[in-house]
Amino acid sequence: MPLLGSFCLLFALALALYSFVVGIIAAVRKDTAGYRLAETARRAGMASFVAVFLAAGALVYAAMTNDFSVAYIMHHSNIALPTAYKFAALWSGQEGSILFWCLLLSAYGFVLRLRHKVDQRLVAMASVVLAGIQVFFLVLVNFVTNPFGIMNRAVADGNGLNPLLQYPEMVIHPPMLYLGYVGVSVPFAFGLAALIMRYPGEKWIHITRRWTMVAWLFLTCGIALGAHWAYAVLGWGGYWGWDPVENASLLPWLSTTAFLHSVMMQEKRGMMKMWNIWLVFITFMLSILGTMLTRAGLVSSVHAFAQSSIGSWFMGMLLVVFVVCLTFFIRNYDHLRSENQLESLVSRESSFLFNNLVLLAAVFAILTITLFPIFSEWVEGHKIAFGPAFYNTFTIPIALFLVFLMGIGPLLAWRSTSFGSIKRNFKVPAGIALLLGVGRILKMVLENGFHISSWLHIDLARLYAWLAFVLSAFVITTVSSEFIRGGIVWKNKLQTNLLAGMFQLMRRNMRRYGGYVVHFGIALLIIGVAGQAFNQDKEQEMGNGDKLAIGHYLLVGQEYTQDDNANYRSEAALLNVYKDGVFLERMNPELRFYKASGGQPDHKVANHSTLREDLYVIYEGKNPETGHPIIKAFVNPLVNWVWIGVLVVLFGTGLALVPNAAPVTAQVPQTVAVVATMEKQGMQPAGAGK
Amino acid sequence: MKRLLRILLVPCVILVLMGADNQEARFQSLGGKIMCTCSCTQMLLKCNHVGCPNSDRMIRELRANVQSTSNDQEVLDWFRKTWGVTAVVEPSTHGFELFAWILPPLGLGLGLLLVIFVIRSWKLRTAPIAPADLNLDQQLESLRARAHRETEI
Repeated sequence: MPLLGSFCLLFALALALYSFVVGIIAAVRKDTAGYRLAETARRAGMASFVAVFLAAGALVYAAMTNDFSVAYIMHHSNIALPTAYKFAALWSGQEGSILFWCLLLSAYGFVLRLRHKVDQRLVAMASVVLAGIQVFFLVLVNFVTNPFGIMNRAVADGNGLNPLLQYPEMVIHPPMLYLGYVGVSVPFAFGLAALIMRYPGEKWIHITRRWTMVAWLFLTCGIALGAHWAYAVLGWGGYWGWDPVENASLLPWLSTTAFLHSVMMQEKRGMMKMWNIWLVFITFMLSILGTMLTRAGLVSSVHAFAQSSIGSWFMGMLLVVFVVCLTFFIRNYDHLRSENQLESLVSRESSFLFNNLVLLAAVFAILTITLFPIFSEWVEGHKIAFGPAFYNTFTIPIALFLVFLMGIGPLLAWRSTSFGSIKRNFKVPAGIALLLGVGRILKMVLENGFHISSWLHIDLARLYAWLAFVLSAFVITTVSSEFIRGGIVWKNKLQTNLLAGMFQLMRRNMRRYGGYVVHFGIALLIIGVAGQAFNQDKEQEMGNGDKLAIGHYLLVGQEYTQDDNANYRSEAALLNVYKDGVFLERMNPELRFYKASGGQPDHKVANHSTLREDLYVIYEGKNPETGHPIIKAFVNPLVNWVWIGVLVVLFGTGLALVPNAAPVTAQVPQTVAVVATMEKQGMQPAGAGK
Repeated sequence: MKRLLRILLVPCVILVLMGADNQEARFQSLGGKIMCTCSCTQMLLKCNHVGCPNSDRMIRELRANVQSTSNDQEVLDWFRKTWGVTAVVEPSTHGFELFAWILPPLGLGLGLLLVIFVIRSWKLRTAPIAPADLNLDQQLESLRARAHRETEI
């Protein structure tokens, strides 16, 4: 099997190289022979998927059959490892994960090349760009970080999978994230191809829009699963710690978000063409950077399970990509001139412009702080890294401003918005948001009493949290008012109820209203994140019958147990939990020591989760001095809102991907004679059929 | 004499207490800028690990530093030097670390300048040529207005 895998990888490289080189020759020659060559390049590209698929299959087969003659399998699996995690071994180490990158890239390439009839010339050029990326990764996987290396001595059992990765979400999280990372290669390929070819019109944008949304969907899903995994497995009570690898996944997500907004300006008004093409390029480069940070271990991270020295290869790749993009941009930038002008600063275009500015400012801020240890090592000779508090100094104000833009954007019209319209549209959402904000303050005063000193020394985190609540309420009311106003129109038109009217409204513009659902989800997520300002935590030694009080909860130690099986040995606590004096449930936090990894510890968190708050309990082990078990408890408000928000975001993105319903065919009214005249002339009113 | 002593003593006591309050405020403020180095990722004064190997010692050192030094920056620099640069959650405001403070807002500022430049270039551009058939354009405008009225979207 390892031999078959190695051969398939070499064969895949040959096919990708053929697809790349012959694709370029075919693009230069514009005769019949060129067309035939392009067809062979396309088929070679498709065949490369089959070869990489077989190679990946060979590696998975080796993991399933405990073939420890393969060094990668020896390092990342063992006999006692459950089957699902053996499958996950494919992406749990560096060599396997680069192979997985190749697999996903060739799979995207396969679908793209299969759908070549959408625009044969453009797809042919995009296929060449993708083949170029494939060649880079296949060179890496063949000659730098080969997963089929053979052990020079026989071993009975492997080292096992990193315990932190032995969690159900870890079977899904990396593939999702990688589908997102790799997915942005497709818009990049189309964008670069369109620039190289000086492709007329916005067709490449129409083709890539769905690809970009799919990549964004996977990135969102991957980031959320990673956050949930960190919350459930790492046992530090949070879900986002501004770890460099977390940041690496957030960066392309932010730039893709910017692209998905600004692309509308190009589609509707022919504006921001240069901006969009650079957003596509930057997003791809950030995804390469993300892979480099994850795999090369340039900065210290909790993702230390995949560190190596392939960083220089990725740096080289980044440099080549940048030079190629810049070269073609300089050659063809006149092709990217804007077709329209900004008519008013108070318009949808303007809100998109600021949205893009703020998103890119966030990218820049996070990137700078993340890479600062590398810069400081170059200049000062040692790595200087900063904690979450420093990230929050910049990212929280930026995020709040984005939420504000998310609220006002949908209420602004394209081209220009009158003062009357602003007043009419903003009155209700802004009023409701302010009322809720004032209500929140009154509630605090009623609960805690009014102390002038506490208002003079107000905690900045709580002020931000209040702002986040108010702005999220503003977004939610904005989105709801858009649905209700449109729904009422359709309700009256179809003589039906409001819900059916809103459904009809959405079916006619899935992208727009799907986008609003995404905004709604983000607002829920922001509310959840704001809850962090009110987190509480407490840690203490707890023997049988000992009590720990935190918030409304009281934990009472009942029993401490130990277990031993083939994969790990464990210590666990049984705790009775009371809320406001009433028995709630029995919690069972656990600490496992995985045998194959030399007894590496791993927390199994016990979590009582409600919409209001989570009671999050971890067993920290025994105090070496006293021998007593240590329990740490957190009360984390509104965490479930984060996960619900993410689900709503995913649902909204799914909606936006669904094609619109066919337009309603209605009789042309007699009074609008001009429409009939236009039809006679073979014309259509603006927007018809869209 | 006793009365005079009392009169002098009261302001002294007040001054000392004010100083103590100031020292306590400095201690709390600095404690919120220093991280416990036991890898718990918690702020020094919030670290509540049972048997934490570092926090008790670091808190004692912080208290001693606050007493002996009036400059907060010097206290933070001392912690950087003694416990490593990652002990302090924020970069210092001098030397190379100053760039960490400057670069993110600088990026935003440059981006803002770029946006202003883009808007200016759009504004300066001449308006698109009007359609030849003005009559048809007016008819289309009236249709758009009607659609807007009827849907109110």
